[in-house]
Amino acid sequence: MRRFVPLLLLLLAGLALAQQVQLEARVFEIARQLRCPSCVSESVADSNSPISQQMRVLIQEQLEQGRSEEEIFAYFQGRYGDWIMLDPPKRGIHLVAWLLPVIVAVLALATVALLVRRWLANSRKPIEATPEELERVRRQLGAAGAQPDPAPGTDGDI
Amino acid sequence: MMLKRLLPPLVVVVLLGALFAFGLLRGAPDRDIESALLGRPAPAFELPLYERYQPDFGTVLTSADLQGKALVVNFWASWCLPCYQEAPVLQAYWQEYQDADVVFVGIQTQDRDRLNEGRAFLSQFGLSFPNGIDNDSSISVDWGLYGVPETFFVDRDGRVIHKHAGPVTAELMDAKLRELLN
Repeated sequence: MRRFVPLLLLLLAGLALAQQVQLEARVFEIARQLRCPSCVSESVADSNSPISQQMRVLIQEQLEQGRSEEEIFAYFQGRYGDWIMLDPPKRGIHLVAWLLPVIVAVLALATVALLVRRWLANSRKPIEATPEELERVRRQLGAAGAQPDPAPGTDGDI
Repeated sequence: MMLKRLLPPLVVVVLLGALFAFGLLRGAPDRDIESALLGRPAPAFELPLYERYQPDFGTVLTSADLQGKALVVNFWASWCLPCYQEAPVLQAYWQEYQDADVVFVGIQTQDRDRLNEGRAFLSQFGLSFPNGIDNDSSISVDWGLYGVPETFFVDRDGRVIHKHAGPVTAELMDAKLRELLN
């Protein structure tokens, strides 16, 4: 029996370590979504500034107390406002940031579709030309055949 | 004909250029964001004080000790140049107002374990209002601090009425102290 004690202890230590690693991973997952207050465009996970370090400690403490991700975000939003979130919240004026790219993409696709339809329709249309125009084209083609390099100005009228 | 074709892209380019110029000229938008604490009760704090303040204010200054008084809470760091600029202004106003119903509190932050640098800063300006260090930045997070220097004005009811980012000026101190004490 006594032989198993070290093994059991090792197993427990391993479990504790695994839990710690998991907790740290969650801390960084939450920290990645928060903006470092004293940096420029850096997340709390990426920054090693004292304030970010302290924020990671606070996240860990609150996770250990069983608080949810939303509660932790609310805690920091209460102190820093919505600014602290790297992703703008999906409400109010912030919706513009979420919806605008979708609206622009839809509009762009619609424009391309419309243009393609128009080009296809144009390419299928029978060519309408008066006898004079046909004669002129024929003349110019003939001239181009005889003279491979047409003089400037002769090809600009079509 | 040519002009008509070029007009739409030209308009787009001009608009984008205007947006770019606006972005460049509006300064640092992150720093101008209003504190989320405005109009709300100031966060409680427990500040371990530097030795020189302990005879008058105790080893730890707590917000509970200061209830009923207006507060000027200034966050600074020993490496922060604008903090050196504003320190004499703060000291001058503290001397003028220390008998009024207001307490100035200096909090060294983002300066972990730099106690000697902190002491040197305090002696350089002979700051006589209580100063301590927020070594783990916990007070700073509670106050929603972005950088240094930042100064919070708290009225006698304990509400944050103004936050100033950057060095304080005499004009600002005049205006805000008047507002706090009226």
